[in-house]
Amino acid sequence: MIRSVLRLLPALALVACSGGASDAPSGDGNAADAGKGAASQTRDSLVVAYQSDIGYLNPVVYETAADSNVLQNITFPLYWPDFDCSIKKSPGWAKSWEWSDDGTVLSMELRDDLSWEDGKPLTADDLAFAYELVSDPAVGSPRTNSVENMTPDGRPKIVDATHIEWHFTHAFDRDTQMAHAGLGAVPKHIFSSADRATLRGNENTNKPLSYGPFRFANWKPNESFVLEPNPNFTGPDEFKPKLNRVIFRIIPEYSTRLIELESGKVDMMEQILVEDADRLREEHPEIRLVRRGWRSMDYVAWNLTNPLFEDVKVRRALAMAMDVDGMIEKLLTSKTGESYGRRSIGTITPALCGVHHNDLEPINQNVEKAKEMLAAAGWKDSDGDGVLDKGGKKFSFTLSTNTGNKRRSSAAVLIQAQLKDVGIEVNLDQAESNTFFQNLRKREYEAALAGWSAALFVDPSSFWQCDKPEQKNEFNFTGYCNAEVDALIEKGLSTPNPKDAAPIWKELQEKIYADQPYAFLFWQDEIVGIHERFENTTIDVLSNFNRLHEWEVPPEKVKYKR
Amino acid sequence: MLKYALRKLLLALPLILGVVTFIFILVELSPGSVADKFFTPETPPEVRQAIIAKYQLDQPSFVRYLAMMKNLLFFDFGRSMAQERPVFEIIFETLPNTVLLSAVTLLVIYPTGIVIGSIQAVRHNTPIDTGLSIASLLLFSMPGFWLALMLQLLIGFYWSGWIEGQVAAGAMSADVAMYLTLPLSGMQDPMLELVGGSRWEVFVDRVKHLILPGVAMGLASAGSTARYMRSALLETIRQDFIRTARAKGLRERTVIVKHAMRNALLPVITLIGLSVPYLVSGAILIETVFAWPGMGRLILNAIYTQDTPLIIACFFVFTVLVVLGNLLADLAYAVVDPRIKYD
Repeated sequence: MIRSVLRLLPALALVACSGGASDAPSGDGNAADAGKGAASQTRDSLVVAYQSDIGYLNPVVYETAADSNVLQNITFPLYWPDFDCSIKKSPGWAKSWEWSDDGTVLSMELRDDLSWEDGKPLTADDLAFAYELVSDPAVGSPRTNSVENMTPDGRPKIVDATHIEWHFTHAFDRDTQMAHAGLGAVPKHIFSSADRATLRGNENTNKPLSYGPFRFANWKPNESFVLEPNPNFTGPDEFKPKLNRVIFRIIPEYSTRLIELESGKVDMMEQILVEDADRLREEHPEIRLVRRGWRSMDYVAWNLTNPLFEDVKVRRALAMAMDVDGMIEKLLTSKTGESYGRRSIGTITPALCGVHHNDLEPINQNVEKAKEMLAAAGWKDSDGDGVLDKGGKKFSFTLSTNTGNKRRSSAAVLIQAQLKDVGIEVNLDQAESNTFFQNLRKREYEAALAGWSAALFVDPSSFWQCDKPEQKNEFNFTGYCNAEVDALIEKGLSTPNPKDAAPIWKELQEKIYADQPYAFLFWQDEIVGIHERFENTTIDVLSNFNRLHEWEVPPEKVKYKR
Repeated sequence: MLKYALRKLLLALPLILGVVTFIFILVELSPGSVADKFFTPETPPEVRQAIIAKYQLDQPSFVRYLAMMKNLLFFDFGRSMAQERPVFEIIFETLPNTVLLSAVTLLVIYPTGIVIGSIQAVRHNTPIDTGLSIASLLLFSMPGFWLALMLQLLIGFYWSGWIEGQVAAGAMSADVAMYLTLPLSGMQDPMLELVGGSRWEVFVDRVKHLILPGVAMGLASAGSTARYMRSALLETIRQDFIRTARAKGLRERTVIVKHAMRNALLPVITLIGLSVPYLVSGAILIETVFAWPGMGRLILNAIYTQDTPLIIACFFVFTVLVVLGNLLADLAYAVVDPRIKYD
């Protein structure tokens, strides 16, 4: 499921970041020298243990969280995002923005003092060029949904050097419109003649030009990459970094990352397991544990094309047979009683507090009632073998999950035991992630324990919309289809003001929860460990490396003095 | 001998062909394709089509197989699908790291194994022999990943942490401590290059980073090499010419080192060439645990992303290395033992 989780990251990163890319001037040494200046005596370096390498550092084709972490710091986004129940925006490259009355035109006034690392001025042309690339099918950009609703040809209209307009085919959610406008610029002077079909492999893609506070320096594939303050940054002074450099060391193995963090050789690590958090808290007071709220959700998908799961009463009974609170307590609660899980009632993260349906009562475990409901649906143990049957067929199915996720395999075992209590036989199966994910997309499974990562603006269409005649909705793993839900999705997506859309999304959550296409299990916090000497660390739901230029270390605590 | 080598190499061609074909079939049979990596829920059908067409995934397997074979004939590995860079470039970046680690591993395996085995043979049936036997069997049967984690914990974490504690307390100078601590993972300290460390510092740093992965990878094989060496030397010691040497009144040291060891080393030397497959398979695990940017991790990532050209190229390189290793073993045999001639 990791892959499907990753697949949702772009949606999230899209908001968190706006990008710029390509070609660094060859003098890596220059910036390194600049970093060694007198000021470096009081500035520290941050060393991060990071799981995977960068892919493509270009806002048009970037893919991984590593890519977006880099891009959001080497660019000066149109707006700086902050998260507080929804994405709040403060001026960036765009000094101001406003919508036309009908909500189809978004006009922006741009700063004129920004420039590329190589000294060329940053212009609206570079921004339009990025959208030209996204619109070109030859590029195969994963961001094509950003330009789908832009007219005439999927790029902003340049009014003059500092004014641009985004024209949309219709009015829709303004946060989404802003996100679609927020991709970032690509230096036209570098990429204008690049072969578009091989843009990912272009020699300049992973030597991106910065127009933000940091620059990308010194990449050693599969080993490390480094961000340094951009010596040619021409933006406002308050955006100048307060760190000397940020080193990402690529360490694929979890236990190695953890022991590096404990030994103090690295300063920061993401995705710490609950059981290790306990120990870190006790033995390493110098490591601050930061919680990133409700970042991902586990669920059991029922394959609705399977006759076993056709009946909504049966699905509700299944949910009633499960003890989700018990799972949270066993799997996501530390020994000291701190819980890192929360019951899920849908695919909208509780972090979006204005939209998440807080009053929806989750189905609680009630074994007796579950048995009654199953009996009412015709499932009885007629041959006395302890397993329910109906028309000579036993209630028995295979619950598959992906390998390599300890939490999920433990949850699967708990579910197996809990369903046995109501007379349902569950066989467990684990498949390698690629295979597992492929089976989900083809709907070739019976029940699957999987997960989604949270998107920070609401678009439930890929999970819940019915298949279209010309194209199967591949990420609708269960084959769910409810005309009322489809209508709500259309209506919600075309409502410009998020406040007006909120009631629609709440109704949607009620309807889907009532239908139980998934047995929704729990949302989890991500735990990030960082050395306490770093202050103003803006780790939030958006990103672990949001606004890296604000991070600092008090002079007396500086560890890396050179 | 040259003729023999050429014949061996020629015979290796069908083997390489077979391996490449087999791997290709395996990749084809596994579900999904590299294109999945580029799809999101929102990717529109025409972009999907463009991506699928770009990697020729809409072509039948045998068409792609033939195209690949034709390219391989000219040593053209093509472009990595996932990275869209020439495969040759990627291998060229990565292979030296693995060769370096392998060289250090061999340095751990053979000198250690030979010394332990020889001591055992010379002190045959003494408590030392028994103790070392137990030790080498223990090493031999120890899972590599566990040994790797234990080394990290004991040497990299506790020992190096203790030394650093001494430095912090002022009980030891940092210059001395530099030679006593070992890093937990990685190939070099990225900070050192950025701050402009001296050549000596960089060299020491690199050697330090090699020790733990090299030991973790080599120690188990050192155990088995010791067993080979022990039995080979024991057999040699019982032979008549050793008795003659002793009867001549030669010093025991000369008898063992000059006469017995030279003969006993024969079977051990052939092992070097045969250890190439282990160096490759062991690398996948050790490189992951120690975050070493080598071929093992490269191939693992290639398999995860189903990057066919890169997978094929990696296995091609591995097969060639194994074949060369075997050939080298054969030739080494002839060099060490003048009685063996290849025609």
